[in-house]
Amino acid sequence: MAALSLQKHINKQLYDKWDLAYLYTDKNLKVVEVSDGLTLYGYPEIPLGCEVEDYVDFMVGFDASTRVDLPLVESPSGITVAVNLIPSKRGLAIVFSNASHLAEQRQLLQQKANENELLLRQQRILTHRLEQASKELEGKNEALREAARLQNSFLSGVSHEFRTPLSSIIGYTNLLERETHNPDKNPEAYANCRSYLRAVKRSSKHILSLVENLLDHGKLDADQIVIRPKPCDLHEVFDDIRLLLSPLAGTKNVEFTLQTNFEPGCMVIADDSRLRQCLLNIVGNAVKFTDKGSVTLKAELNRELLSIEVIDTGEGISKDNLAKIRIPFFQVADTGKAGTGLGLTITEGLIELMGGELVIRSELHQGTQVSFELPMPLLEAEALAMPEPSIDIDQLKVLLAEDDSDIADLLVMLLDEQNIEVTHVSNGALALEASEHEQFDLILMDLHMPVMDGYQAMEAMQKGGNTVPVAVMSASNLSEDRLQAQQYGCAAYLTKPVEIEEILLLANQLTSEA
Amino acid sequence: MDKKKVCMVGDFSVGKTSLTQKFVNNVFSEQYLTTIGVKIDTAIVDETKLIVWDVAGRDSLSPINLSYLVGASGIALVADGTRPETVDDLHSIWDTVEKRIGKVPTVVALNKRDLPEWSVTPEQIQSLKERGWIVFETSAKEGVEVEGLFTQLCRLIQ
Ligand SMILES: Nc1nc2c(ncn2[C@@H]2O[C@H](COP(=O)(O)OP(=O)(O)OP(=O)(O)O)[C@@H](O)[C@H]2O)c(=O)[nH]1
Ligand SMILES: [Mg+2]
Repeated sequence: MAALSLQKHINKQLYDKWDLAYLYTDKNLKVVEVSDGLTLYGYPEIPLGCEVEDYVDFMVGFDASTRVDLPLVESPSGITVAVNLIPSKRGLAIVFSNASHLAEQRQLLQQKANENELLLRQQRILTHRLEQASKELEGKNEALREAARLQNSFLSGVSHEFRTPLSSIIGYTNLLERETHNPDKNPEAYANCRSYLRAVKRSSKHILSLVENLLDHGKLDADQIVIRPKPCDLHEVFDDIRLLLSPLAGTKNVEFTLQTNFEPGCMVIADDSRLRQCLLNIVGNAVKFTDKGSVTLKAELNRELLSIEVIDTGEGISKDNLAKIRIPFFQVADTGKAGTGLGLTITEGLIELMGGELVIRSELHQGTQVSFELPMPLLEAEALAMPEPSIDIDQLKVLLAEDDSDIADLLVMLLDEQNIEVTHVSNGALALEASEHEQFDLILMDLHMPVMDGYQAMEAMQKGGNTVPVAVMSASNLSEDRLQAQQYGCAAYLTKPVEIEEILLLANQLTSEA
Repeated sequence: MDKKKVCMVGDFSVGKTSLTQKFVNNVFSEQYLTTIGVKIDTAIVDETKLIVWDVAGRDSLSPINLSYLVGASGIALVADGTRPETVDDLHSIWDTVEKRIGKVPTVVALNKRDLPEWSVTPEQIQSLKERGWIVFETSAKEGVEVEGLFTQLCRLIQ
């Protein structure tokens, strides 16, 4: 059988005129015969009687009984050969034939096939990536469309919000105008006027809070809000919320409860106005969206950590909407309750700035729980012993530089009521001149004025050796504006609208220091 | 000197030839030239002459190609770390090899470690280790762990 196959093989090779070579070994794989052609394939001259594997590397691992065909083997000469091991009774025949032709063909085909497969694979990956990228883009597009939609609804919401109080202001001022034209001023007319004025004030305050919200939101976005912790009475903050929101809850027959584990006079270091703003928003929302049942505000101060929880029995928020309420401008549709849709975004940002994290748990028809924790250092006892400033500002002389005559008139009138003597000028140059000719106790300086602005005036005053404290009144609450004003030597920085109480407090501080 | 036959086995273009050439001749080529049949090289490791059979990856499981493995003392399974499917293929390749030549010492090279497209998962490596194989993350291009691979294989079969 083996001999026959060898015969067949040899015949075929001969027939094809392949360059045939062979090697015979005995049972111990010692070389007994070598054909001439073997050196053509790069094998060395092999002395008879030697171990075949010492001269032919590929023989390592085979024994004399191995019957195997090795169709394509690169020989030392580089020519590809076919090798057949054919065992027989006497030993092993190792037959070499030239397979370079076959190898060349195979090489071409296999190279193409492999490269194609690699390319196809690459293509599949790229296609997959493209698909994913386009999916991602689609998602982003959708998000952009949603943002644009929200922006639009925000704008129309804001416009609407402004229109309502503004119309009411215009309406009531018309009424006031008519009422004050009336020559016979009876008590009833006065009462009317007062209620119209209250309405105007309410609407104005509403607009102011709208504007403040919008500004805060812009600043949060631009990382420009600075938290200013200062000593404050923590209980007072919560009591304010109660005072502000109880009436609203009362009109809706919603029970409002405040629970704290601290007493009035509990002094901490916190930015009370920002904390108040957050609480007002969260508790305000709770009251707004609760139509029956209760709203509870719980505050606990333990080891300088303030934990706050607001629990209501209101409508609750659906899962869908819960995911969206943190998006700026988002408002749950069909509640019929207007707002800017910014309150919660701002509150969340502020709480984060103060070192906390807002957590909202809610289910539709199950009420809502909002909670957060803030680090809250207690004020040390010695700092508490500061004397209360006593307000005694009679006979004070104030220079007011303000180009807006309405604001100026108002301030002049309010200061006048306090027996403070006010000189009003309408730009920086006039302020400078006045300060050089007359002695004042305090200068109130607007920043943006024609002819010479507030900064320039302050600079000139500084050069002129002015010692009178200057308080800047600015519409901007940005920290860099504060800093700049300080560099020009201002003693205080008031943000508009400036309340008379602030001026009085300041006047008192400045004059008591002096 | 002791002589041992070892075979490089794995899918096409995973770097069998590159690893062999790096180890034997310290050369590397970016160009891909597929191996036809088998190329045999030798190297001396720890007093042992290793006869390295660099077998074509294409059709590596065909009976014809399996005949190249007869007489092997050890196997280096090679996969391309940037083509994770070639790593998974190692399991079935080895099962077929085992049927033909029985259990022989085996090491694994996850090659092309230098490429950023490297994407072998820890689970894949774990499943290779569970079969008792020592896994090398090699780069024929940068010569990383190439020595380690062959030296380890040589130690296993000595
Ligand atoms: N970057 C990089 N490329 C490599 C590495 N190893 C191999 N390659 C490249 O991968 C391709 C295939 O390498 P080969 O060594 O020919 O692969 P093979 O496993 O012998 O392939 P077949 O002979 O077809 O079975 C070539 O283009 C090599 O340059 C490596 O470690 N890093
Ligand atoms: Mg190759």
